[in-house]
Amino acid sequence: MEHPILLISIILEKLGLPIPHGPVGNTFLEKLCEPYMTYTWFVMIFLVVVGKLTLSNVEMIPGKGQNFWELIIGGMNDFFNDNMGKELTEKLFPMIATFALYIAVANLIGLIPGFMSPTSSINTTLALTVIVWVTHHIIGFRAHGVNYIKHFLGPIPVLIPLMFPIELISNIARLLSLSIRLFGNIMAKETLLGILFMLAGAYFAPLPIMMLGVLVSVVQAMVFVLLTVVYFGQANEHAH
Amino acid sequence: MAKLSTEMIHLLGNYGHIGFTFVAAIFIGLGGGIYLDEKFFDGRTSPWFTFIGLAFGIAAGFKSLFDILRTQAAKPDDTDSEG
Repeated sequence: MEHPILLISIILEKLGLPIPHGPVGNTFLEKLCEPYMTYTWFVMIFLVVVGKLTLSNVEMIPGKGQNFWELIIGGMNDFFNDNMGKELTEKLFPMIATFALYIAVANLIGLIPGFMSPTSSINTTLALTVIVWVTHHIIGFRAHGVNYIKHFLGPIPVLIPLMFPIELISNIARLLSLSIRLFGNIMAKETLLGILFMLAGAYFAPLPIMMLGVLVSVVQAMVFVLLTVVYFGQANEHAH
Repeated sequence: MAKLSTEMIHLLGNYGHIGFTFVAAIFIGLGGGIYLDEKFFDGRTSPWFTFIGLAFGIAAGFKSLFDILRTQAAKPDDTDSEG
């Protein structure tokens, strides 16, 4: 289900760019102008601009903007250190922190009328999840080499024919569950808000759902990051 | 952030995905079985790989369930133990 009004799509249409009317565009330019693409770019520009404005001159005694970022970045750094160790945190902090900020902002932006969450499209969440999934295998191979396969063989050698498919399936299930959980939660929030807005928007019917939406957005971003950190930590550990 | 809410986030993150992971494992097992039957063997082995895949999928679901429980039970004592 589409939003009734999408500001960026309207602006782009006024500029003469083709906006797809179905969920998927036909030509390359239409695919680029799909709402989830344009809003992804919007979130990226928003994050870069806000970072530039608040952190352009870093001072010894932090001001308002710098204080905010120090709180968030410091909290995330401690959290990653606790869950996956210092080494991995030093290597992968930029990637996971970017994911966290991007997903949080992308979830919350859907609460503003005229905007939509890019994460309410399965394409966005699946892309994020594939990056995380491939990265955790790369971490495993770099940490253990060929012995990484022992992660998938179970504890007893006799049971390898039984355990290997099971481990493989449960590993691929991570790909599915991580992407569909984020997509499903945010899409449900967006759809519910849209329907309530059309039915009884004049009587503030979407207001309670909007409050829940703030909670869902923040919690889903945190859950995605927590699971990412847990998977990276597990890939780095020794096989049981 | 207050301690209570961080703990809640931890619980949600650790246990909130049990249902989805379980179902995803079953569906991937079933889908793999159906793919083997219909595309790889052209329907000659028709119901068998579907059933085998379903069984492996259910087993994988339970295995991921036990994994979640075991890692969480082991966590408070020593975080860096071997699984």
